[in-house]
Amino acid sequence: MIDFLYGIGFGLCFLVLVVLYRGIFGPGVYNRIAAVSAVGTKTLIILLIMGFIYNRVDMFIDISMVYALLNFVGTLAAAKYLEMEK
Amino acid sequence: MIHNSTDVIIKTVARIFIPFIQLYALYVIMHGHYSPGGGFQGGVILGASLILLLITHGERVAMQRISENWITILFSLGVLIYAGIGTLCLFFGGNFLDYGVLAPLLHVSPAAARSLGILGVEIGVGIAVMSVMVSIFYNIARSGPYRNKGTTARRES
Repeated sequence: MIDFLYGIGFGLCFLVLVVLYRGIFGPGVYNRIAAVSAVGTKTLIILLIMGFIYNRVDMFIDISMVYALLNFVGTLAAAKYLEMEK
Repeated sequence: MIHNSTDVIIKTVARIFIPFIQLYALYVIMHGHYSPGGGFQGGVILGASLILLLITHGERVAMQRISENWITILFSLGVLIYAGIGTLCLFFGGNFLDYGVLAPLLHVSPAAARSLGILGVEIGVGIAVMSVMVSIFYNIARSGPYRNKGTTARRES
């Protein structure tokens, strides 16, 4: 079971690197916002997998909920900033 | 100046989310000594809920809920709670933030007095962090009374 979790965790870390390319070099602001949002979602799952590995899901679920919340607010703030720029 | 959002999805999601976010922030503050979190993290979440209200419902609604004067009072109050509990320990003969000596004042054992003292300090830190976050966001988002008058003309040009 723990090998399975390690496999998923490292796979998601690799996918974060793939998305990070779009976040750094991606043309336009919209691609970057989508990339940051996707990295945030993957980080949430990686945090939960770390919780399962350390057998302390109840603590890591708090951190991941805060991360999801701030990710949502951050994406919304970036979208609002773009709307005001027009 | 942040206007009211015209998108019905964003407004509905924010209206449903904000009370639960604030409840979760109180949970993080209260359980700071059992789980990850504490005063600073809970204050940040509480501030994020108010920033979400400001982004989605516009500046006027947020100002009606919590004005800039109240923000100033609240972050002074938060620092006062934190430093006040710390200094109270000095008057009872302990070190700064040594809550164990508060036991005769609270009529509990020293261990329970330490737990209550940490909780009080975390509430103070949470109030201060929340109001400072919202204050920074107000000052960035609008030309408030704390804004430097000289930069107003350049911003509007």
